[in-house]
Formats: sequence, C-alpha cells, structure tokens
Amino acid sequence: MKYQSQAVAKPYFIAAIGLFVGQILFGLIMGLQYVVGDFLFPAIPFNVARMVHTNLLIVWLLFGFMGAAYYLIPEESERELYSPKLALAMFWIFLVAGALTIVGYLFVPYAKLAEMTGNDLLATMGREFLEQPLPTKIGIVIVALAMLFNLSMTVLKGRKTAINLVMLLGLWGLAIFFLFSFYNPANLVKDKFYWWWVVHLWVEGVWELIMGAMLAFVLVKVTGVDREVIEKWLYVIIAMALITGLVGMGHHYYWIGTPEYWQWWGSVFSALEPIPFFMMTLFAFNMVNRRRREHPNKAAVLWALGTGVMAFLGAGVWGFLHTLAPVNYYTHGSQITAAHGHMAFYGAYVMVVLTMISYTMPLLRGREANSPKAQVLEMWAFWLMTVSMVFITLFLTAAGILQIWLQRMGETPLGFMATQDQVALFYWMREYTGLVFFTGLMLYIGSFFVKGDKTQAS
Amino acid sequence: MNESTGRISPAVLAEALYLVNLLLAPGLAFMLLLLLFRRHRSSADALTRGHVRQAFAASLAAGFLLVGVPGLIALAGDLGQANTWTVLLLYFVCAHAALVLLGVLALARALAGKPYAYPLLGGFQ
Repeated sequence: MKYQSQAVAKPYFIAAIGLFVGQILFGLIMGLQYVVGDFLFPAIPFNVARMVHTNLLIVWLLFGFMGAAYYLIPEESERELYSPKLALAMFWIFLVAGALTIVGYLFVPYAKLAEMTGNDLLATMGREFLEQPLPTKIGIVIVALAMLFNLSMTVLKGRKTAINLVMLLGLWGLAIFFLFSFYNPANLVKDKFYWWWVVHLWVEGVWELIMGAMLAFVLVKVTGVDREVIEKWLYVIIAMALITGLVGMGHHYYWIGTPEYWQWWGSVFSALEPIPFFMMTLFAFNMVNRRRREHPNKAAVLWALGTGVMAFLGAGVWGFLHTLAPVNYYTHGSQITAAHGHMAFYGAYVMVVLTMISYTMPLLRGREANSPKAQVLEMWAFWLMTVSMVFITLFLTAAGILQIWLQRMGETPLGFMATQDQVALFYWMREYTGLVFFTGLMLYIGSFFVKGDKTQAS
Repeated sequence: MNESTGRISPAVLAEALYLVNLLLAPGLAFMLLLLLFRRHRSSADALTRGHVRQAFAASLAAGFLLVGVPGLIALAGDLGQANTWTVLLLYFVCAHAALVLLGVLALARALAGKPYAYPLLGGFQ
C-alpha cells in the first residue's frame, strides 16, 4: 500500500467478513425454518432470523464500502487520509452499535426493544430492512457523516479523479438517502413511498456508483489500462445507472396506492435498468482483454470479472424478469423476488466488496498478492459461492413460478401456506445449496491463513 | 468505446448486432447481421472474418435455442400444467442469459481486437 493511513481499511474488512458469516448462518437457519417451521422456535423465530439475516447483510456491506473507501480515497487522492484516528473511532462505534443491535434483536422482544430505545419519541422502527432502533439509526448517521467529512477533506486537499469523486458522490448519496428512514408518516402509502427512497435509491441508485468506482479502481490496478479509458466507461455507466435507476423506482409504486401512471414510468425506466449492469460486464471483460500487465493477484481479477457477470444476471436479468407491471401483477412479493434479491445482492455488492478485499488485503498485509496456494483456495471459494448462488436463485425461481401458478392463477387458487407445502422440495434444494455456499465462505476465510511462496508481478 | 480507430469495425458491429438481436430488435438486427455476413464473410482480415462468421452462426444457434427448443418443450409438455411452465420459463431465462453473456464476452474481445469462438461453434471461423 502507498499510504500508511490506508491501513484503517483492514479492521473494516475483517469485521465485514465476520458479519458476512453471521448473515449466512442466519440465512441457513431461516432456510431450514421454511421447511421445518418450528426449528429453533421459540429461541429464534422466523421473523427475527429474517431481520438478522437482512440487517447483517446491510451492515457488513456498509463495513465493506467504508473499508474500500478508506483504502481507495487516499490512493486516488495521492495523500494520507485526513484523520485515520477518526476512521478507527468510527469503526469501533459502528461495530459496537451494530453488535448491540443484533444482540437486541435476538434477546429482547421487538416491541420491548422499540420501547427501550425511544421509538415512542420518533417512531422509525418496524419497517422491513429499517428495523434498527432509533439510537442505531442515529449512530449510522454519525458514522456516515464522520466518514464523509474525513474522506471529503482528503479529496479536497488531494488529487481529484473520476474514481474518487464517483465514490464520494455515492457515499454522500448513501448518507443523504438514509435520512428518509427517519420519516415515517402515518399514511401507509406515503410511508412505503418514502421507504423506497432509502431502499431503492440505495441499491438501484447510489450503491451502483460506489460499485462502479470500486470496480474501476481495481481494474485500473490489475490491468494497467489507461485511466482515461476506464474513467470514460465509469462516467457512462454511472450516468446510465442514475438515468434508469431514479425513475425506475416506479416499479415499486405499482400496487401501493400511488397513481396509475407509475405503472408506465416504472415499467419503461426499470426495463432499462439492466443497461448499466450490461455495460459493467462489458467494461470488466474489455479492460481485462486489453490489459497491459499480468497482475499476480489472479483471484482479484476473477472476482472483478465475476462481479460484472453476476451483477448483470442477478440485478439485470432477474430484475427485468419481473419488473414490467403486467408481469409484476402476478409475481409481486413471490419467491421470484427472493430469487432476484439473492443473486442481485451477491452479484453486485457482495462480489464487489470481495473484489476489493481480494485486491487490497494482500497489500495491507505487505505483499502484492497472496501465494498461489492461497489464491487457488480463494478461487475455489469463488466458484463454490458463485455456483451455489446460481442454483439458489434457480431453485427460488422454480419455487416462485410454481407459487404463482398455484396461488395466483387458475380458478381455484391455493392459500399461501398450502402453496408453501407444494414448493417445499425447492426450499430443501435451496437449503442444501446454501450449505455449499457456506462451505465456500469457510474456504474463503481459510484462504487468508494459507501460507506459501510469494507471487511476483510479471 | 473503440478508442483505437474512432470507427466501428465490422467485427464489433457483428457482435453488437448479435446482442441487439437478442435484446432489442430480434429479426431486424438479424437481417442487418445477415447483410454484414454476406459482405465480410470472406474478408481478408481474419479478425473481421472470424467475428462476422461467429456472430452469424451464434445468432442462428440462438434462434434454435430460444425459439425451437421452447417450442419443443411446449409441444412435448402440457401447458395446462405448472411443471411445464416451470421448465419452460427456467430454460428460456437461463438460455437467453447465457447467450447474452457469451455475446458480451465476444463483444469485449472484438473491442480489444482479439478473436473469439462461441462454444461448439469454433469451427465456423
């Protein structure tokens, strides 16, 4: 690494991986509860397992983004981080707040947790993905603002590049749109309307900027292609992401009580949303094909290429699959949504964070790349996790198609729970595949402990 | 994005038309690809010849995989059964996505000025 202060990224990445393990464990618990309803009941009810699974995902990805930003911004800005101490302090605040929140979810009944944490002062809890108690939400804002101050000061005093400016813009957007989590109107339509300003404008808006910047950064490093070329691609990709993603939010407004015109706006613009992901895949492969050097960190190159492919499949293809209003009329809230959610989050955000970790961790540990032995193990982890995620998505898609057929079509549709019994086979297959994913994750962690000969750049 | 010449080469155009045929304008893009194929199939430039021939052959294969095979599934199965739809939709989504991804790889290679062979179609260069 070029700057000492980039080392603050390391604890963020370690915490991210630790929380990732927790997320997958709760995913496995929940997956089993789909088919063995009373598994771990009443200790961990389904709703709690689901909340922990999704919240851990969000928190570990945020740790990953922050770690990536603390590594990327100083290097792009060609100067030390404005305040490494502030970054470390924020790490501990975020980690303790996150851990306390999860412990609260697991050991305190949710209503009691709401009462204990001041939800009666400003009611923000009880909404999917935004279940965090008020102090945690305030903590997230404080951590985000401190990080933005730290990073913005670094960029202001240093070199401005497309990569660090896009990264910063994405992070500012992340913080700004999170503020809508504090707005919880009594009108349910308005509540859902603005809830999407956090959820959608994160994952189909500003997070794409963060993802694009991280991918561009790694590709500049591992391919040696001219920065000018990569920056041109980045500009086009983020423009397409914002053009399609902002109005594409209309695909969440089809059936929540908003005006009918959203069915047109949502359908048209969200049908265009695969474009930036398509471009990212083309971008990644094009840069690797035009590379001017063989970087010794082959695992990082594999993660970067995998990000493009899986993001396109998960966010692009599986998103398009159910985004048009006449299709969504049937598929809304079915297992098709779960299939899309799993592959999109894995392909776009999990993989880009792992790309960044794969590239930076060896550097943070004092070498350009891990030993070939460690990289082989990491690549095994890549394939196990990626292939199992493809199958998880396929099984959930099959479950979704069957669910829609049985529950929402025909003259004598089945009830929700009766339908769940009919699709149980796919849930079992998803669970087994989840175990393969977990094995891949364990191998991934194992790869950090494998020693061997150092690799040299060629 | 082909910064080297400023003009779109027939190789890039062929792969782009393969993708447009799959994604935006099926049939129309294929007709344009057919014209391009007729013009450049015997090009002296191996890169142009290879990409044009590969894109054309892959488009024909894609037509069979995306129209022919689903048609066979529909004929062989009972469209009044959920299982037929499950197989049909999963097959179509996977086949289409795989063909698009192969097209992206081919386009990336064409943009980089490198040859590309679609799986099982390598002989048609």
